Amino acid sequence: MEDQKPQEQAPFGQPPFGQQPFGQQPFGNPIPKNWLVESILVTLFCCLPFGIAGIVNAANVNSKYAVGDYAGAQAASAAAGKWTKIGFFVGIGVYVLYILFFVVLGFGGAMMSNYR
Amino acid sequence: MKLLYISGSIVLLSLVIIYYKFNPEMYNFFPECPFHKYLHLDCPGCGSQRAIHALLHLNLQKAAGYNLLLVLSLPILALQLFCKIYTYFTKRNLVLRFWYNPNTPKIIFVIVMIFWIARNLPYIPFKYLAA
Repeated sequence: MEDQKPQEQAPFGQPPFGQQPFGQQPFGNPIPKNWLVESILVTLFCCLPFGIAGIVNAANVNSKYAVGDYAGAQAASAAAGKWTKIGFFVGIGVYVLYILFFVVLGFGGAMMSNYR
Repeated sequence: MKLLYISGSIVLLSLVIIYYKFNPEMYNFFPECPFHKYLHLDCPGCGSQRAIHALLHLNLQKAAGYNLLLVLSLPILALQLFCKIYTYFTKRNLVLRFWYNPNTPKIIFVIVMIFWIARNLPYIPFKYLAA
């Protein structure tokens, strides 16, 4: 499950290396970042179902890479990143707007709401 | 990049403190999911805030009652976090290969969709999945 190998200076945050098991990939094309983990996090924590779009695109990245369509995998990676970021920032936006709204309305007395 | 990690950790830590101290069920300054607010349906992420509160109080059962998917995904997310931290500090690339298996995203997608539909069904075994 885990794969550990000393890598000469892999820049952090870059797509991981390795990955030859799924096939006929020519050398030197590491699989592009598939944003799967980020999509899952967005799905779980940012509520709005943009994370689903990210997961679908992550599936595209992996399957296209597996059949050797490197350009397609890269395009899917870009799309996955786009959707994940949209979900992330919409989520943060909702939070910030809500907090702002709350502050504007005033803290006093409003702290306790009825059960919801 | 380092600055990003440091500020991210500070934000995360303050969120942990807030979610530990305040129960989202009792206080109304926690945002409500727009999906739930306007459609009155649960999305796969609904109940996460209450689940986190319960988790921070080590109440796993209650957390699972709010959002089962979140609780189930925690071990794997923790593993991923460990890999990231390990890579960051040792500069040795530790990657979970299964994220790049062509079937993994499909399975996750199916699980999320089933969870999403099931938790909105008003029948007995599924009602427990609702947030």
